[in-house]
Amino acid sequence: MSGYYYIEEQGIFMKKFGKLFLIFFICILCISAVSIGVIYFRFISERIYKDSTDNLEEIYSQVNRSFGMFVERNWGLLESWDKSSVLLDENASNFPDFITKEKEYWGFSDFYFISSDGSFMSVEGTKGNMDMGEEWSELTENKEPVMSEAYPEGKDVTVFAIPAEHGAHNGFEYDAIALSYTNADMASSLDVDAFSGKAKCFIINTDGSIILSTQTGGNIYSNYLVYLKGASDLSEEELSALQNEWAKGSTGIVRCRIGDEDHCILYQPVSYRDYILLSSVPQNAVSAGFLSVQKITVDVLAAIFLLLGSVVIALLLMRGHSLSRKSKLELQYRERMFDVLSNSVDDFFVMLDAENWQVDYISPNIERLLGIPVADALKDIRVLEKCAVADDDIVIPKDELENIPLQGSRSWEYEYMHQGTGERRWYRMTMYHLSIQDVRKYILVMSDRTLDLQMNQKLREALNAAQSANEAKSNFLSNMSHDIRTPMNAIVGFSMLLEKEAENPDKVREYTRKITASSHHLLSLINDVLDMSKIESGKTSLNVDIFSLPELLDELNIIIMPQAKAKKQQFRINVQGAPPEQLVGDKLRLNQILINLMANAIKYTPEGGKIDFNVREIPSPAPQYVTLRFDVQDNGIGMSEEFCKKVFNPFSREISSVTNKVQGTGLGMAITKNLVDLMGGIISVESKQGEGSTFTVELSFVLPDQTHSEEWFARKISRMLVADDELDICLNIKELMRDTGVDVSFVTDGQSAVDSAVRAHNEGSDFGVILLDWKMPGMDGVQTARKIRSAIGEDVPILVLTSHDWEDIEAEARKAGINAFMSKPFFVSSFIQTIAPLFEEEEAKSEPEPSASENIMQGKRFLIAEDNELNAEILMEILSMEGVDCELASNGLEAVEMFSRSEPGYYDLILMDVQMPVMNGYEATRQIRSSAHPEARTIPIAAMTANTFAEDVRNAMDAGMDGHLAKPIDMNAVRELVGKLLGRK
Amino acid sequence: MKNKKLFLTAVLILALAMPACGVGRTENANTPVTLTLMGKKSDLAKSYMQSIFDQYETATGNKLDIISYEDSEFETEAAAKFNAGDVPDIFMHFNNEDLNRFDTENNFYYLNNEKWVSDLTDGARDYCTNADGELLGLPFWENSVSGCYYNKTILDSLGLKPAENQTEFDMLCQALADAGYTPICWAADGCSWMPQFGLDPVFADAPEMLEKINKNEIGYSDIPEVTNMVRWLSDAAGKGWFGDDYFHIGWSDISDEMSSGRAVMTFIWDTWFYTDFAKDGKYSVDDFALMPVFLNTAENGTYEGGNLNMMMANKNSGHLDKALEFLSFCADSKNYNIAFDGISTVNCFKGQTTNIQSEMVTDAADSIAKNERVSTAASRVTGYSAEDMVSALNSLFHKEISVNECVRLMDEYRVTQAKKQGMEGF
Repeated sequence: MSGYYYIEEQGIFMKKFGKLFLIFFICILCISAVSIGVIYFRFISERIYKDSTDNLEEIYSQVNRSFGMFVERNWGLLESWDKSSVLLDENASNFPDFITKEKEYWGFSDFYFISSDGSFMSVEGTKGNMDMGEEWSELTENKEPVMSEAYPEGKDVTVFAIPAEHGAHNGFEYDAIALSYTNADMASSLDVDAFSGKAKCFIINTDGSIILSTQTGGNIYSNYLVYLKGASDLSEEELSALQNEWAKGSTGIVRCRIGDEDHCILYQPVSYRDYILLSSVPQNAVSAGFLSVQKITVDVLAAIFLLLGSVVIALLLMRGHSLSRKSKLELQYRERMFDVLSNSVDDFFVMLDAENWQVDYISPNIERLLGIPVADALKDIRVLEKCAVADDDIVIPKDELENIPLQGSRSWEYEYMHQGTGERRWYRMTMYHLSIQDVRKYILVMSDRTLDLQMNQKLREALNAAQSANEAKSNFLSNMSHDIRTPMNAIVGFSMLLEKEAENPDKVREYTRKITASSHHLLSLINDVLDMSKIESGKTSLNVDIFSLPELLDELNIIIMPQAKAKKQQFRINVQGAPPEQLVGDKLRLNQILINLMANAIKYTPEGGKIDFNVREIPSPAPQYVTLRFDVQDNGIGMSEEFCKKVFNPFSREISSVTNKVQGTGLGMAITKNLVDLMGGIISVESKQGEGSTFTVELSFVLPDQTHSEEWFARKISRMLVADDELDICLNIKELMRDTGVDVSFVTDGQSAVDSAVRAHNEGSDFGVILLDWKMPGMDGVQTARKIRSAIGEDVPILVLTSHDWEDIEAEARKAGINAFMSKPFFVSSFIQTIAPLFEEEEAKSEPEPSASENIMQGKRFLIAEDNELNAEILMEILSMEGVDCELASNGLEAVEMFSRSEPGYYDLILMDVQMPVMNGYEATRQIRSSAHPEARTIPIAAMTANTFAEDVRNAMDAGMDGHLAKPIDMNAVRELVGKLLGRK
Repeated sequence: MKNKKLFLTAVLILALAMPACGVGRTENANTPVTLTLMGKKSDLAKSYMQSIFDQYETATGNKLDIISYEDSEFETEAAAKFNAGDVPDIFMHFNNEDLNRFDTENNFYYLNNEKWVSDLTDGARDYCTNADGELLGLPFWENSVSGCYYNKTILDSLGLKPAENQTEFDMLCQALADAGYTPICWAADGCSWMPQFGLDPVFADAPEMLEKINKNEIGYSDIPEVTNMVRWLSDAAGKGWFGDDYFHIGWSDISDEMSSGRAVMTFIWDTWFYTDFAKDGKYSVDDFALMPVFLNTAENGTYEGGNLNMMMANKNSGHLDKALEFLSFCADSKNYNIAFDGISTVNCFKGQTTNIQSEMVTDAADSIAKNERVSTAASRVTGYSAEDMVSALNSLFHKEISVNECVRLMDEYRVTQAKKQGMEGF
């Protein structure tokens, strides 16, 4: 770990150093480029300046020469005119024309005659004073040609004058002649309009005063030296030096700044007096040509640098972009991979800033694992506290975590609850304290350990279960050893005794009865063990069909009532409310469950005890379902609290002095529980030792399409009378009959029933049927029936409703005029079933039930297919005792052949073992059914097998068999089945 | 034949008109009368007005019934009186747009033939003359000359001369700017009068232009000189000739700018130096001189003559003779010199000698004589509003609008004002 960080730090250092070096390198490059540029441009500027000023000097030297020539030319012109005849002719009429022509040719403005007093006269005759300043004395006194600024006729002009021969023109006496130029004319003549008109050109005195200006449009300067003093950046010393230079007649250029522009002040002496030719030109104008070259150079260089720079920057940016993109892509790949990874695992990760505990990253699977939105967790990691199961703990103990040394970690476990589903899960939290680029971070890894814990828990439980199972099986083996050995011991013992006492018929019967009892017990033990084994192996399936709840209850009553009666126990079936009568479910399994529970209740309830079987409907999860709650309540020995917890475990039997007297495998409740589970129901138990137990089963059944009995009642009965001392039962019957359209009247005692029946009879509107409770206070059902019959005759059917076995009173009741009996509870379907035969006498008589005492097997011939010789011998022996002539086939094929060879009617029935060599019973049956024998389709075939489960029965039926007998053969079952099959035949 | 008819018709009209005119002029000169004189209260309260009234009453025995109205009510009240036919013998009013409501043609006597007319300075006479050349009234008021007043001391110190034409003025402005001065003090926050100086030559030199614009036949956009002026102002502002802070310069700041020497020139009138110019600045009134205003509308620049209050005679009055006598009394040099004794004003009368006239004006007398114009734009252009002009120009200076848009905006403002005033043709 430390090595990795060393390398990482080194990498960071190298990166930082590389960046610094790059910045330093770029700075050096920039500074070098700027320095070279500055030096280059300084050199170029100096060079340009020098070339510019040289150029300027040359231009103005030319101007100066032009000016000198201009002055001389003007004086020369004047001199030539002075001596010409044109001028001498005082009244020459052609003089104006002459001057006009000369003007046009030479470009001057006007011609003047000047008198000795300073007055002038123009060619047109205009007169005025020619103020020529100091030049006047030079002209008049020194007789020198002069040049001066003057204002003849209000015009600001430059005048060139020469002394002339005294003369007169049109009466005006003159001593000098002059011609004048306006500034514009001067500029035009001197061609000083250089530098795009930006140059100011003056002829000045050495004191700076303006002699003449060549500026177009006028002149605003009176003294340029003064102007430079006020407007330029030249100092007093520089100005003084400049004036000295002028005084010395020097030529030079001064650079100064006027306003916002640098100016070149060029001065040159002119060839007239000490006048100075002065020009002020903006530096930019002077160097315009050069500057344009410089600008182009600069522009080109700048463009090159810009281009190069742009290329470099573009390359850097592209590289940076490429790197950044690559980094981003890598980051995205990593993040995506990490997201996918984290989404596929049940661990999530949080990165926190160690300073402020701000969440930098959290893996997205937190939402799946804890139901916390990522955004919420990013805002504040303390949101985890909301999920913590325990309220009193701090989920992330900051104080403790801050003590984790750098590169260290700490782990702890915590239970969290999913915010969405409420599911609780255990997490192992490991907090790592790291430093990433000098920034301290905490990385929290939360690993879901729920499966581990659950696995451990399951392993523990499995271990416990295995230990318990082992213990139970040990107990079972011990018990079984005892339980099996006991009947076996009896069978073996009594068999030995039987052999010894074979000559004593009484002993033989006694021993045979005891052997039979022990055998049955042993058989039930084996059945239970096999049943349990099959359920546990998951091979049990349900045989779902429509069944009648009343029938079921009736059958239960038939089965349980004798057992309860044998122990003098009070057994009652109570149906509360009006549960549906037709249900879809596995009636056989339901029967098994309820018989188990009730048989247990009877078994563990002492004599004289009380057992209640309550049935009621409870709210169902769906409209097409009905959920029934079955309570089996006894006041027997009860169970300890501990045993209640494992009463449904296999091989569990509470060890007590009482239970030890009760035979059992300890599998009954386990089988019951498994069957309930198989049917999707719930079984529970409440018990208290010494007070009794209540087993409760809740099962849901599909409701079949309702069959309406209203039509039947409409045809048969319109009103009925019910007499029961329990008002609830009366109301319940009325409620149940409401949908049938039958008007139910009820009374709660026998006499009232008699009164009602008589009254109705007298009114000519007998009840359609009268239903009497058997046990009523005062007058019971039989007595009441007797009185009714004596009063109204035999026409109205009278039924007795009872929860007791009516076998004992049946004869007396029928004698009293009772037509039929009904078991409580009252069901409409049972009611119809009971009274329908009364209304349809003929139908009832056409299908009389065969007498149970009749031996239907006498004289019949059975084909027995059985591979086991011993079993075959026993079966054949037993059947022989019933008068059956048996022929044996040792496998299926043989049975097929024997049947095929037989004459029609030769065999009355085939008993087919299922598991046989050569050909099993199913295949043999199929071949028989598909054979050409005339009785192939009709010969009754009954399976005879140790496979007694529902699917075995179904498989037998599917193969074409007509019935099923479980091994070992129970003769009663054989008689019943044979009776049924042969009767049908 | 045709000329004969015309002549006879003219004679007939003259014959018919003469008796009517003669009604007022046949009054007995010796009978004291009371003349009604209507004017603005503050105008009538001027010392030289009181003086001339007193002199007249004393000298003639006639009385003056002074009818005065508060300044704010004057125009309305006077117009109401005129509409009711209650026109005073003498009416005092400036010759500006507001005078139009008093029906000058039918109410006032034209004074072109009075003896004292020749004593009027050209500027004063021109001011009191209408577009048809008829002299409406006698100017009797403080006169002034508006022009470009410049700091000659600064110019001298820079070896510069005042400009004589627009080109030189531009050179001068640039030379001053180069020397670090603000060439022109343009008080954008209060110089509402300045643009009118540029427009005076446009309309004074071309009366037909004035007529057309007042008939709404043309606008400023149709007059190239207006666009020239606006463009020049835009360029001047852009070149920094108004300085950097001219947006915040108001009326009260001009004195400081000029007396401190920060600015060298401004467009103002002479009497301002005696009424509003700071006495304690670096420069005094003696440092200043006058040259024409150059706003690129007149090559040689322009001066604007003063706005003068004039006294007009009711030509329908029974005391017309006495009224004219009163005007003649006022125009007598002896009398007006008494009245204006010690008053700072440019001459309205050539014979004015007792008034105080600034050297700036007297030094520039020749230039003024050549280039002075009557205040024309502000007083005679229908819908002209000095404030609107400044508003449009300031939008230009703020670069919110272009030169042409500025001219169009000036037109819009002018037309809007004219409409507000209910002027015919708008």
